[in-house]
Amino acid sequence: MSKLSVEDLSKVYGQKTVLDHISFEVQAGEFLSILGPSGCGKTTILRILMGLLEPDGGVVRKDGRDITACSPAERGMGIVFQNYALFENMTVQKNVEYALRFHKELRGKASEIAAGLLRRVGLWELRDKKPGKLSGGQQQRVAIARTLALNPDVILFDEPMSALDVDTRLALRREIKDIQREYGSTMIYITHDQEEAFAMSDRIMVMEAGRIHQIGTPEELVTDPADDYVRRFVLENLQIKAESLSRFIQVAP
Amino acid sequence: MRKRPVSSTILKLALLAFFAAAVLLPLLRMLAYMRNTDVLKVLGGAAFRKACLNSLKVGLLTTAVSIPLAYALAWCVTRTHLRLRGLWSVLFSLPMLIPSISQGSGLIILFGANGVLTRLLHLGGNIYGLHGIVIGEAMYVTPIAFLMFADVLTYEDYTPYEAAQVLGIPRLRQFTAVTLPFLRRPLISAVFTVFSLTVTDYGVPLTIGGKVKTLPVLMYEDVIGLLDFGKGSVIGAVLLIPAVLAFLADLSNRDAGGNSFVARPFVIRQNKTRDGLACALCAAVGIFMLLPVAAFGVLSFMTNYPIDMSFTLGNAAKALRMNGGTYLVNSLLISAGVGILGVLIATVTAYCSTRLLSPAARLLHLLSITSMAIPGLVLGLSYVLFFKTSFLYGTMAILILVNMIHFFASSYLMLYNTFGKFNEHLEAVGLTLGASRLRIVWDVILPQCRGTMLEAFSYFFVNSMITISAVSFLANADTKPVALLIPQYEAQSFLECSAFISLLILCCNLLVKAAVHLLKSAIARQDG
Repeated sequence: MSKLSVEDLSKVYGQKTVLDHISFEVQAGEFLSILGPSGCGKTTILRILMGLLEPDGGVVRKDGRDITACSPAERGMGIVFQNYALFENMTVQKNVEYALRFHKELRGKASEIAAGLLRRVGLWELRDKKPGKLSGGQQQRVAIARTLALNPDVILFDEPMSALDVDTRLALRREIKDIQREYGSTMIYITHDQEEAFAMSDRIMVMEAGRIHQIGTPEELVTDPADDYVRRFVLENLQIKAESLSRFIQVAP
Repeated sequence: MRKRPVSSTILKLALLAFFAAAVLLPLLRMLAYMRNTDVLKVLGGAAFRKACLNSLKVGLLTTAVSIPLAYALAWCVTRTHLRLRGLWSVLFSLPMLIPSISQGSGLIILFGANGVLTRLLHLGGNIYGLHGIVIGEAMYVTPIAFLMFADVLTYEDYTPYEAAQVLGIPRLRQFTAVTLPFLRRPLISAVFTVFSLTVTDYGVPLTIGGKVKTLPVLMYEDVIGLLDFGKGSVIGAVLLIPAVLAFLADLSNRDAGGNSFVARPFVIRQNKTRDGLACALCAAVGIFMLLPVAAFGVLSFMTNYPIDMSFTLGNAAKALRMNGGTYLVNSLLISAGVGILGVLIATVTAYCSTRLLSPAARLLHLLSITSMAIPGLVLGLSYVLFFKTSFLYGTMAILILVNMIHFFASSYLMLYNTFGKFNEHLEAVGLTLGASRLRIVWDVILPQCRGTMLEAFSYFFVNSMITISAVSFLANADTKPVALLIPQYEAQSFLECSAFISLLILCCNLLVKAAVHLLKSAIARQDG
């Protein structure tokens, strides 16, 4: 049974169809990237999966159970946003502990759990700082630790790196992959950066204008693109990057 | 969000209904009241035409005086190495802590027929009339324009000037090419605000105008003296025009989006001459602004100026005995009520219009800043006509309500800006972590708004202490706020008592300002 399955999902805003009857499945422990230009509907999917938005039609299942009508907190999923959305008035540690207050069985162990997570993401020394004093990369680590506190088996990422510089992105990529292996989490990762999607994903879903063009492994997308759009959007971009890189290598002494 | 909870829709509808009942309906009632009056006869009357002309003159002259002066002061405070900047800023905003009518009586005490400075400097004592009104109004509105300019100049980006210097562009050209375009929006806002405040104020012209009557004075006399609500409504409708224009100018300015993001703070070069001149100007204006307050002190605590200049507490005791004490308690209760209720409603409204987006939220935003377009006197008359038969009329509650609406827009906008700056996903994150929207508001959003909420409280409180406009038609012998004793004492020629009341109001406001300042610093330390 798949971890998550989406059947015939649709969403319309006024005249604009944002999601046009899409279906896909995600396996347990899989890393799926959703790739597409702005406005293609990828964030809408994420919000519907998380329960922050109601679809006009379709069903979302987790472990076979219909969760379309469940509240966000009942879904056992976590989400990491682009601009971190940290609680600026609380210390790093309080940010990570916050969610545990609302869970009776975890409340007593809150500081212990937070300490473990902060050590894991390398922020233990900064635990008493407010988020405003941290770098972008450090803030995103706090956001990830805060999401992990409730131990969700599915974690959603909404372009988590787009506000970060290149070096930080590379480090954080590795970290997210390590966490996925360690916790065995299923991850759905939204991005418009082809390179990022190719480097991190088990499978990539290419979207445009509310429709899915192709879902496949990075290799499948390269060797067997489903249509012209996939070829153009995914491969041309990568090719340009590869070409400029090879030119750079040739020119360098 | 998922399905929008029904409660948030109900909340927004309730707020919309509240603002409709507290702002729109009273105003419409006043406009409808004109039906019973021969509008053309009022507009064509000699008294009206003369007052209209006087108001225009006062408005234009005051704007012409106060805008350059306010800009010069703001420039001195932000663009020179002037020492004690904080002190100057406090000094220039001091007049905002006393009623406008006190500026008029201050000038009379100083420059009137028997004035302190008239005798000291052997002046003619000829302050009554148009020039007196303009001086008084300028003292009333310059601080407001000063704060607007100082705020804008503090956040001006230095980068374009650096670029201009690199390109070797002369200073004058820098001013016309960089500074003026940058100042255009705030300048328009300041000009309209100052003009509209001046034209709709009756405090200064009532005391110092002598035979020169302006429209608000005419309206005040028609309503208070003659109980001619019809004629009052017509003048009120005319007074709406400059205020609505100011509102629209401000709205179009604001919507275009202000850029308050500082790329590089200003670099101020060393220039002793410039600093000296700035200091001289600030000192001159500062002293002039302090003069009325000093005059209140002199008059309040001298036995019988200028005959017996020995110290006494008799005037203070007399003022307190003649209802001053009771009305001071009224004022404190009203101001505290306006502060608490105002902050509460402004916070909820600003939250709804910034973080529960929908067409209703936009309408709510527009309705809550509409009160900015209604002069206090007009709002007061609207309330009289609309609420006359209701249980609210003649109570302290209606005074709290009318002041809250009168001063709502500024406080609301402070909170609106603060709420707008929070990360848009906070509530969503909360929901995924098991924390309700209300929980996130309480745990995360409100703790970060404490400073703004205190600032909003202080604005509501101080303005409710000094206002005489919206409340003048609504207060009765039991509910009267203390500021209304100033025109009453002046009419009874108890100048020393009215001076003492002005001082009293100033002291209360200074205490509240100081308390808010201390609390805000404590919060800032805590947030560290």
